[in-house]
Amino acid sequence: MSGNATKTLGKGCAPPGRVPEGTMRLYSMRFCPYSHRTRLVLQAKGIKCQVVNINLRSKPEWFYTKHPFGQIPVLENSKCQLIYESVIICEYLDDVYPEKKLFPCDPYERARQKMLLELFCKILCYQKTSFFGGNCISMIDYLLWPWFERLDVYGVADCVDHTPTLKLWMAAMKQDPAVCALLIDRSTFLGFLNLYFQNSPDAFDYGLTC
Amino acid sequence: MSGNATKTLGKGCAPPGRVPEGTMRLYSMRFCPYSHRTRLVLQAKGIKCQVVNINLRSKPEWFYTKHPFGQIPVLENSKCQLIYESVIICEYLDDVYPEKKLFPCDPYERARQKMLLELFCKVPYLTKECLIAMRYRRECSDLKAALRQEFCNLEEILCYQKTSFFGGNCISMIDYLLWPWFERLDVYGVADCVDHTPTLKLWMAAMKQDPAVCALLIDRSTFLGFLNLYFQNSPDAFDYGLTC
Repeated sequence: MSGNATKTLGKGCAPPGRVPEGTMRLYSMRFCPYSHRTRLVLQAKGIKCQVVNINLRSKPEWFYTKHPFGQIPVLENSKCQLIYESVIICEYLDDVYPEKKLFPCDPYERARQKMLLELFCKILCYQKTSFFGGNCISMIDYLLWPWFERLDVYGVADCVDHTPTLKLWMAAMKQDPAVCALLIDRSTFLGFLNLYFQNSPDAFDYGLTC
Repeated sequence: MSGNATKTLGKGCAPPGRVPEGTMRLYSMRFCPYSHRTRLVLQAKGIKCQVVNINLRSKPEWFYTKHPFGQIPVLENSKCQLIYESVIICEYLDDVYPEKKLFPCDPYERARQKMLLELFCKVPYLTKECLIAMRYRRECSDLKAALRQEFCNLEEILCYQKTSFFGGNCISMIDYLLWPWFERLDVYGVADCVDHTPTLKLWMAAMKQDPAVCALLIDRSTFLGFLNLYFQNSPDAFDYGLTC
């Protein structure tokens, strides 16, 4: 993956050209948890992808040709096909790049991960395994992770105080190479939030040196 | 599929036994649109399945061992594995029975059908709100306007594609996933919401020609009879129209 640490494209910026064959392009924003999901899957699967960051407060006009409501993340391939909704993108990537499958092969286990995702907001599951899909990290863990990475900066880290198994899962996740590679630095995140709350269009480029 | 036209199991009823090998069991309710989705897929794919209807106003205690909140539909297989959420059930069935695939093989086309489903996602909520407004004889022009807008979005897709169905020129998964709400437009009092979407109306007519849709079509007067009792909170609503 390249381009995540690049400045956003905003109003008046020229559109990027065609996506080169053999690669993908992800329209993204560094601090968005839904984009984070898709970047985790791209990273874990080792997919060649160019990230283009979008300024969400000052969107380029051409971005509405990529998504009807100008939302991110959006995946574009070399055939000019566009896919959006973070979970749909993740499922699509797992289909197109079957070498390192993140979803289980068994149909029931696949269904179980989808049901778990549905329950994500409602109940915390009691797992006797290290990860939500078993003893190895898989799709469901990456789909949930972005919100747990943000517990601290969102000021709700104490919500996992009474769920030791979940805390263990979080610790195990922080050992994963893909998660580590994409981990957002705490002070950078706080800097982003500070500017974001002030409705500053510069929020999205916080922490970038060039 | 067998057992759809059977009386519901309610509080105090004994649980059904194990699901025999080679078959599936669907916990369902005859008039629920989400169950309807899964029954359409079972029918279209010719899957051997026993339907067990659940009395939603007086649920059997054991049903909470099938679903944490006692919701339908739930699919159970012969390995005692339980799957719920109608879309997840439909995807699972397409995986387990690959002979008559309803989802396209191409990953992008598959993703496109899922994105279309997202586009549809306000329709169930809006149609339900219109039904509730009808029940309380409340005015619902705002709701109907919102519903018309959703239908316009779907109309645009069909017009742009120039295909008979949402997935192409043959019926496929996405059409079955959308259909139950369109079958209910009339009894929900919102049939006029497709007045200005002629392509969508053509799609509805094409759907009514499909064997699976036809086989499961709910008789209008039976539906109205169910709604009448349902609005009175009668536990007999769910068995309306069954003779024995």
